[in-house]
Amino acid sequence: MIGLLLRRLAQLPLIVVVIYTITLMLAWLVPGNPLENPEGRQPPPEVIEQLNRQYNLDSFPRFYFTYLDDASGFSWLRDAASGRLGDAADRAQAEGVAPPERYVFDFGPSLQYDDWNVNEIIAGALPVSVALGAAAMVIALFIGVGAGVVGAMRPNSIADLATLAVALIGISLPSFVIGTVLLLGFALLVPLFPVAAWGTPRSVVLPALTLSLPFAAYIARLTRMGLIESLGADYIRTARAKGVRESRVLLKHALKNAFLPVLSFLGPATALAMTGSFVVERVFAVPGLGQHFVAGVQNKDLFLIMGVVLVFSTMLVLFNLAVDVLYRFVDPRIE
Amino acid sequence: MSRALLPVILLLGLVGLAVLTDRPPPRADLVMYNGNDVNTLDPQRMTWMPDLRIARMLYEGLVRNDVLSDGFDIVPGAAERWEVSSDGLTYTFYLREEAKWSNGSPLLASHFVHGWRRALLPDIGSKYIDFVLTIRGGQDFYDWRAGMLAEMESGEGEKPFADGAAFWGETERKFFELVGVEVRDERTLVVTLERPTPHFLDLCAFMTFAPVYSPLLDQYETPDPVSGRLDRRTGWTKPGRLVSNGAFELTGWRFKRDMRLEKNPHYWNADEVALRSVSIPSIGDPNTAVLAYETGAVDFMAEMTAGYRGELVDKKKAFYAEHADEVARMRELGLDQFEIDRRLPDDPRKDIHAVPAFGTYFYNFNCLPELPDGRPNPFHDALVRRAFAMVIDKRAIVDEVRRVGEPVARTLIPPRSVGGYAGPDGIDALSDARTPAERETIVNAARALLAEAGYPDPANDFPITVELLFNKDSGHDLIAQVIAKNWSQHLGVSTRLAQKELKVFREDLRKRNYITARAGWYGDFGDPTTFLDLLHTDNGNNDRGYSSAAYDAMLAAAQLEMEPDRRMRMLADAERFLFEQEMPMVPIFHYATVYMFDPDEITGLTTHPRTKQVISLIDVLGDGIGPELPRPMHASRPGMAVLDGAPATGGTQPAHNTDGDNGDGA
Repeated sequence: MIGLLLRRLAQLPLIVVVIYTITLMLAWLVPGNPLENPEGRQPPPEVIEQLNRQYNLDSFPRFYFTYLDDASGFSWLRDAASGRLGDAADRAQAEGVAPPERYVFDFGPSLQYDDWNVNEIIAGALPVSVALGAAAMVIALFIGVGAGVVGAMRPNSIADLATLAVALIGISLPSFVIGTVLLLGFALLVPLFPVAAWGTPRSVVLPALTLSLPFAAYIARLTRMGLIESLGADYIRTARAKGVRESRVLLKHALKNAFLPVLSFLGPATALAMTGSFVVERVFAVPGLGQHFVAGVQNKDLFLIMGVVLVFSTMLVLFNLAVDVLYRFVDPRIE
Repeated sequence: MSRALLPVILLLGLVGLAVLTDRPPPRADLVMYNGNDVNTLDPQRMTWMPDLRIARMLYEGLVRNDVLSDGFDIVPGAAERWEVSSDGLTYTFYLREEAKWSNGSPLLASHFVHGWRRALLPDIGSKYIDFVLTIRGGQDFYDWRAGMLAEMESGEGEKPFADGAAFWGETERKFFELVGVEVRDERTLVVTLERPTPHFLDLCAFMTFAPVYSPLLDQYETPDPVSGRLDRRTGWTKPGRLVSNGAFELTGWRFKRDMRLEKNPHYWNADEVALRSVSIPSIGDPNTAVLAYETGAVDFMAEMTAGYRGELVDKKKAFYAEHADEVARMRELGLDQFEIDRRLPDDPRKDIHAVPAFGTYFYNFNCLPELPDGRPNPFHDALVRRAFAMVIDKRAIVDEVRRVGEPVARTLIPPRSVGGYAGPDGIDALSDARTPAERETIVNAARALLAEAGYPDPANDFPITVELLFNKDSGHDLIAQVIAKNWSQHLGVSTRLAQKELKVFREDLRKRNYITARAGWYGDFGDPTTFLDLLHTDNGNNDRGYSSAAYDAMLAAAQLEMEPDRRMRMLADAERFLFEQEMPMVPIFHYATVYMFDPDEITGLTTHPRTKQVISLIDVLGDGIGPELPRPMHASRPGMAVLDGAPATGGTQPAHNTDGDNGDGA
């Protein structure tokens, strides 16, 4: 167990550096200059040139290594070990100026949003996305497992077909349609929930529900398939033969095995839900991380793109690891 | 099974924790929608309209525009008075003694100098540096600093300064040596310009010229000990730290989430401010923003960009049609659009407002002699450009595509937007024809121009496929379709639509890698040159590659003209030359800005086409705060309308909002 954890954690930096390299190469190739205004008055070329130099945008290798150095924490470690970090802070204090902004993992300044650096942006948005994603996964689990059990109890019955149909709709309908319909219905016509007011428990409900539906649909199908398979297994017949109640057969014996595929789906799905959905965030004005993926690319804001990509890929690796650990709790046979 | 519930319990815990630690603040006196958050609150670095809108709440320049006056008068701001030398080169500003920062410390002349110096430093990279380069020696200072920075940062050769501190000290000295700015005493500021700039006071009302609180900035912008380059740290624009001198102070800002401003108790004119607090939620989706307005979560939408705004404006037109007589009578009285709405019976359709804006949508021609692929460019010939301009059905674009009552454009500068300026007529286009016969005449005239240019049978002898370049979104595709159809139908040329991502589109424009392309331009200051400079050969925004020695000479001559009326006439001649002969671009329509607010509840917004709302003028009617009286538009006050750099007699500007062509399109 410990060995697995250590091995996987050692792989983490390698995976992330590969992702970093590929993403940065792609982002670098996006045409356009992030410092130019997309519309309207353009800054003089000499100003652009100065800014390009300041941000290392004039050289790919320099940007690549400087950013990697800052984001990986090496630059911070070096300065901390050599005492430079402390010196700079002391000097700032002596002169009465603001201390230099140093982060252990420094993702740099945002090119588009002058007043913020990427660390602050992610620190503000990630908790929102995590809360929304967690709420969505809870809803998805309840709806998905519930629907799957209903379907598996009587395969091909009306109830089964109905849940399958609903699941299909859940997967097929884009979330901007579901989200808009929910908003029109439950915020405007029947004002149960607020519009564009993230921060209260009530404001989580509609976006979480919208975000959960595709996951719920997928979980429902996984649960149903798993249950139908395990309900035909010999140990279930044995359980029934010794007179165990049907509900107990279903929930204790069959579901436990049927849950394994759901669990392996939960890892990447939770990482995905928690790093934000651009569409759901946009429709419900949720200040999460998803919008920064899109805005970062649209604005060619290299620092922001790399920051969110590094955070997302780290989370993805960690959630997969968490699922592997949970697996062993649910099914001790797995090594 | 209980162990399988573990992930669920963990997830629930996360939700609970996040929601409990995250509480929204109480509702403000005014909730304003300002798009999806601002880019920056640094006045010297901002360029975006939503940023400038917030900046005008936070900062106050030496002077302000009275946005509720017909002439957009220059009125005293932080300076209580000023003098202009007779050659128009030297301005002396006297700051008011009661002007203070939001922390109570006095506002000093040196704080303005600090802001202007920031704008001129290559280290800051102010995108609107051009405005500050109107001050004498600004360019010399920029060049000196940039050159020295390069030497300090290069690996080879002897460094001009021992260390960063020495370099910075010399920079501060050099600034006063080179730049025409003098702090005569704590509250007196003398500025000398490079050349007479009639709109300099209007620039002083622009946020690039805002003051900064030096004790704060000095903490966040310090010279690097080795290279001397200013190390810019973010953070000084955050709540709790930002010190402002305007009507409001920043009390909350969560990025892409919400912002909160509260009345600045130290503002010299605080008694006039009728809002205690303003909150600005950040909403990415325009449709959600409208829903927020309709559920009452937002009081004022400073821009309404939802795709169906055309339908809402149609409803407003229907509402006006129901009250046609009253509306006509009130227009006759010279009432502004919002005041008319206020006097009409209560109706939800009243809440949408389309107001003329200080901008124009146009199509660029690539005017270079050769196309990007090296072939000769037929659009190098003004005859061809004019012919193509004539056959565009601008009316169809305005009425059927845009549908918010924007006026058809014949010239670049929106009519009646700049006081004292009467632009040329431009030429007739297809949409000016009222009968089929007139249409035919215009089409024939355009074909005759093409024949004269050497293309008597354009269907066969026009050498290129005319490509229309535009960026995705915002309905540009529909406009391009109309224009392409006009060109192929009436001139017989073949056309191709080229739709690109905004960044790619921008890059193509800059490299002039296109044949024709959509574009738009909003004016920044109250002078015709805010538009006309675009066409100057050396202008950095001359995406067309247009170059005319005659036109450049006309602008240069106007620059030297000191008599304001004559100067305006010279500029009008220059614009006439552009749009009656040269046609480097085809003006399609002048923009309108669409707002949403209940006119019975909110007052203090301007209908002036300069598109500059000052939120601190807003009074929420019925909340018991402020005078609770409507604040309609008023005529220019004599002695205040500044068109020529000095307080002059004014009040003669035509009312801009009595014309049925503008406004709500009724």
